[in-house]
Amino acid sequence: MNDNNLKNIKIIPDLKKSIEKIKEISGGSSDVLINEFVSGGVHCALLCCEGMVSTAVITELIFEPITNISAKKDSHELFHYIQEMLLLSNDRPEAYDYDTLFRLLNSGFAVLLADKIDKALAFGVQGYASRSIQEPSGEANIMGAHEGFVETIRTNMSLIRRRLKSPALVMELMVKGEKSRTDLCLCYMQDRVPKRLMEKIRKSLDKIELESILSTGYIRPFVESDNFELFSSTGTTERPDVLCSKLIEGRVALLVDGVPFAIVIPRLFCESFQTLDDYSFKPYYATFIRWIKYGAFVISVLLPAVYAAIVMHHPELLNSTLLMLLVESEKQAPLSIITESIGVLLMYEIIREAGIRLPKPVGGAVSIVSGLIIGDAAVSSGLISTPLLTMTALAVISGFAVPELNPAVTILRFAFLAAGGIFGLFGISLLACAVLANICATEDYGFPYTAPLSPFAKSGMEDTAIRSGMKKMQNRGFTVEEYHE
Amino acid sequence: MNNITKNQLAAMLLITDAFTLFCFMGKMSLITVLGLSVGIVLQFIMAIPVICLGGEKSKWENWFYLVYLIMWGGLLFRMQWNASKIIYIPYENSGGIWGKLLISELIALVCLYISSTGMKSLARSSLIAAAVGAVCLLVAAISAAADMNWKNLTRADSGRSFLDELLTGFVLSGGLGSFAVLLKMTKGHRLKNSIGYFIGKIVLTAVVTVTAVLVAGGIMKVVDFPVITAAQLSQPFASQRIDSLFLIVFAIFAVFSIAVQMTSAAYIIGELFPSFTKYRSSCSLILMIGAAFLLSKVPPYSTAIAIAVIAAFFAVPLIKLICLKLKGEKLC
Repeated sequence: MNDNNLKNIKIIPDLKKSIEKIKEISGGSSDVLINEFVSGGVHCALLCCEGMVSTAVITELIFEPITNISAKKDSHELFHYIQEMLLLSNDRPEAYDYDTLFRLLNSGFAVLLADKIDKALAFGVQGYASRSIQEPSGEANIMGAHEGFVETIRTNMSLIRRRLKSPALVMELMVKGEKSRTDLCLCYMQDRVPKRLMEKIRKSLDKIELESILSTGYIRPFVESDNFELFSSTGTTERPDVLCSKLIEGRVALLVDGVPFAIVIPRLFCESFQTLDDYSFKPYYATFIRWIKYGAFVISVLLPAVYAAIVMHHPELLNSTLLMLLVESEKQAPLSIITESIGVLLMYEIIREAGIRLPKPVGGAVSIVSGLIIGDAAVSSGLISTPLLTMTALAVISGFAVPELNPAVTILRFAFLAAGGIFGLFGISLLACAVLANICATEDYGFPYTAPLSPFAKSGMEDTAIRSGMKKMQNRGFTVEEYHE
Repeated sequence: MNNITKNQLAAMLLITDAFTLFCFMGKMSLITVLGLSVGIVLQFIMAIPVICLGGEKSKWENWFYLVYLIMWGGLLFRMQWNASKIIYIPYENSGGIWGKLLISELIALVCLYISSTGMKSLARSSLIAAAVGAVCLLVAAISAAADMNWKNLTRADSGRSFLDELLTGFVLSGGLGSFAVLLKMTKGHRLKNSIGYFIGKIVLTAVVTVTAVLVAGGIMKVVDFPVITAAQLSQPFASQRIDSLFLIVFAIFAVFSIAVQMTSAAYIIGELFPSFTKYRSSCSLILMIGAAFLLSKVPPYSTAIAIAVIAAFFAVPLIKLICLKLKGEKLC
């Protein structure tokens, strides 16, 4: 049955027919449990989804009080009594159609139906198994909290609320996805967020007509520009502390049920180089680390390309010792430098992908085989020159310093390598111009991705070019609205 | 419409000015330095009508500036074509007409892409490109210190009078047409924005020309491109070559200077034909390539070009200003 049709089907007052209808809609699914009983002299049925509710809670807090209700005149009086006199759970929504009934049932609610009444009462008794809060795997830090988001949206909401106790923090729940009925939560500080940004994001979310939402990647295209962008203008984080800092800066966060990541809107390029640890260390050290990361980004994109360009087209840039060393190494390699470089980079990407997808013990074996055996054998046999392998390894390792930009960096590394190999530094310069224009054209909801560099904002440099001290930054009262164009 | 900041405006225009200086053909001397510098002061005074009008344009003005920008874009293509004789751009088959053609095609393609992203992104990327270029030029200038000879200031002879050099200053300032177009889109006080640009221009011109004269002044008689030659001669170390760094700056500035003209022209096409929404940049590029062929026989530093620049930058705004004054409208 089409899910949209369910909205039009009102709950049947006849309990037997209603149960038959529920069985028909659910296709007799084994996990839909229907317990029929009599309460207060009225025939009732308590519905729940197996594995979604807590058996202990439902027994203690629902069954016991309901079965002990004294005789009532009719089901209306029974429902009124339950709603007004018994506090069976915190969350007690009502359902008037089968669409709402099934949404609640599948979200871990226990649903009470009674004979001769066209509505159902639901009780929030969720008790499904979920992963406990753990340290984020992709955004580890040294000095900050070690809590990361989990798959349960309500837990994630509580992680944020624990850190931002201000009443200005608003969390709006909504449901998207025709089949998945995924809960989304829009979080923002109502005293900080630009009103226009909120309106535009709501409009963007209204356009979602997906059947299911299973990761943040399903939603991000709806809140990003339609233009071709190399770098994403929305970010993700799996750290509640990082998300709180973004909310205070007037950004909007989007939590997705079942996903341990939050989407942050808007995202700036410079933020990819900032970590929470920057604010835990002394400013001079944080500034040093930040510039190391800027350098690592440039190296990860350009090093193989510059190496190929210099060796193939601009050997005069090297001093005689280095030149002789490279000539000696490359002389033994049977392939051209550009073929060698592309081959090594492709091999790395294959090994990386294999390492991620395989089970962890096998993944370790892949690393050993690739790193020690293939790498060593390739160099020993003269198939690949040692300097080239060193350059490629340096570029790849540098890319790990800025993990968020890795997808774009990977593609750019190949593109620059081709440009540098064919046209030398001239090719690299031309491609750099095109990439720069693309990055500068990246803009969502009027927030330029390249801010505060261009358009230049002097105040923004305090947390971009350097990392100023906390005493200085506390008076700044920065919100992302400063960068709006 | 206020889309771009004063820094972005200055960056876009200074890149164009720097590129025309790189491509300067002929001799340079102290007179050239003085002529170009005084010329910039004169240009600032002449900019007052444009600053007063704020860039608002009638239909016929838009047509005039469209033709001007197309012609100037074509001229920039031609300058790049001429300079690629001496700039070492290595790749397989880089020599000959096909090599030069491929270089121009690649530059045109990148310009087309940049222009298609729009004025805002061009302005933002120009600011970053100008910053990178400024650092590279500074390194090049510092590297040139060892090869500078102060006697070259008096030794170098351009063979032209001060008045000739003043006119050359206008020929090299074709980007002022873009100034007249882009001023309308700039945020903030127009006069302050303009002062910033002209100060930047005078510093840039002085640094580049003085460095070129100091380094290449001794061999100026046999030099065709003094700025490029000066960069090629400035080798602070035995084997490392600073001209590779100059090649990067040259390529970046070539792309952005042409892209500025292309985007400005595309913007005017949009003003003239609002329903023509797609392919404005492609249209500008095609017209510029056509103009480059048309201008291939025109001498690169002719008085005609100086007159066109003065007309675009000073005469047309001045006539409009007088007309508005006669109508009794409030100005400035």
